[in-house]
Amino acid sequence: MRTSRGTSIVGLGMTELGRVYGRSPRRLAADAVRLAAADAGLALGDLDGLLVSHGVSGSPGIELAGTLGLGDLRLLAQVNAFGATAGAMVSYAAMSVLNGTATTVACVFADAPRKPKQSAGAAYNRSAREWHGFAGMTAALGLRSVTSFYALAAQRHMARYGTTSEQLGAIAVSTRAWAAGNPLAEMRDPITLDDHQNSRWVSEPLHLLDCCLVSNGAIAVIVTGDDRARDLARPPVHLWGWGQGHPGHRKERGSDFGLTTGAASAGATAMKMAGIAPSDVDVCELYDCYTYTVLVSLEDYGFCAKGEGGAFAASGALGPGGSLPTNTGGGQLSAYYMWGMTPLSEAVIQARGDGGERQVPARDVILVSGNGGILDHHSTLIVSPHPKGA
Amino acid sequence: MDIGILRRDGRTDPFFDGTAAGRLVIRRCEACDRWFAPDASGCPGCGEEDPGWAEASGEATLVTWTVLPEEPPAYLALVELAEGPWLHARLDGVTRGDLREGLPLHVTFERPDEGETYILFHP
Ligand SMILES: [Zn+2]
Repeated sequence: MRTSRGTSIVGLGMTELGRVYGRSPRRLAADAVRLAAADAGLALGDLDGLLVSHGVSGSPGIELAGTLGLGDLRLLAQVNAFGATAGAMVSYAAMSVLNGTATTVACVFADAPRKPKQSAGAAYNRSAREWHGFAGMTAALGLRSVTSFYALAAQRHMARYGTTSEQLGAIAVSTRAWAAGNPLAEMRDPITLDDHQNSRWVSEPLHLLDCCLVSNGAIAVIVTGDDRARDLARPPVHLWGWGQGHPGHRKERGSDFGLTTGAASAGATAMKMAGIAPSDVDVCELYDCYTYTVLVSLEDYGFCAKGEGGAFAASGALGPGGSLPTNTGGGQLSAYYMWGMTPLSEAVIQARGDGGERQVPARDVILVSGNGGILDHHSTLIVSPHPKGA
Repeated sequence: MDIGILRRDGRTDPFFDGTAAGRLVIRRCEACDRWFAPDASGCPGCGEEDPGWAEASGEATLVTWTVLPEEPPAYLALVELAEGPWLHARLDGVTRGDLREGLPLHVTFERPDEGETYILFHP
């Protein structure tokens, strides 16, 4: 089998997102893969690799291959690094193409945690009358939502570096400003810093408008070699670099929990592979489960000094017209929460020039992040409309 | 916030035996001379999957915190035990104005009418 010198994302498939009820994760995943193949101008039978990932409502499973009628696959696996999975899957797909394991690999995420007549956050909260085990004790004492664990991280950053709620709010405001231009975004009405400050506390120091949405749906991308990518339906989105960072913060004296994340090592690895520095990045699509996640990621990637993420966000750099357009589709905060597929899908849209009224003019280098667990796992991709080194 | 009822499940028995006796008991690997949180899955130093238990001093400092918007507010935290491990914890007897990195804390024991005795941390 001939190996390829470069790899690209050539297909993007997105189901309806948000309040999409009545479809299982496997059905949603199958729909997304079909859409991605059609987008690329490929038949399902052209796929010889499938990587599957899931959220909190059950996995599509590698049985998805059977659902799609895929035979003679050369690569098939379920991948899980929580919110870092999308970037990781794309890197495994690219490596498989580069070493000849497979030629054309679909990577899919699906989740359907949102139920009719239930609050959006319910899927990420625990509730019980009786509690078991140490995790049960922690929950019983009050740490029952993912938001509270991120609040602990954000509060530590605030206490150490003087980061403020208003600076977090600047990220909520700029992200919503981008969402206004995205027809796929669930929340498109502009918000002000006052709206952010007046939104209810979920878990101090995080307001409601510091927190992401919860969405049902699925997104798939297709990775292939540049030799094949040239002949397909859409402009290739070239993969320049990738990296992961799993800091393994131990919960003990000396831990950097809340202060630094796996973005530091993941970003360094990906940027070295891509042959770029932070100053070369035109657009950031960052995992924004919380406003704070964006702020600390910007620091760890080196877009500003450690501790200066708040001032950087408040400077207006991240919004429309700013120096570092970030989360240009409205991110997870305002558009849709498809874990790592949210930033990745918007990166593909921007790289292709399909951003419509939100399209950024300079898009030669786009950084995509994924973050999983409570800042436990991180992935980075560097993508571009141009071949690497061209 | 209603704490609910805490039940032991085998792994937590030594911890709850301790709290019932007014003692904070956490994991300790004697071979490696290291302390771990009660929920530690093992000692990464030597691979022991079931490190022993030992009584901690109950002294701690505040690492970080979050406040739930309830009446009265619930103060939740990461605390650093004097021995080094961090615990997810609930604070008692504090106000927002007290909260700062390094605030000295000590453990207290709460005996509900039903279920296991749990711990709180006070300034
Ligand atoms: Zn040991």
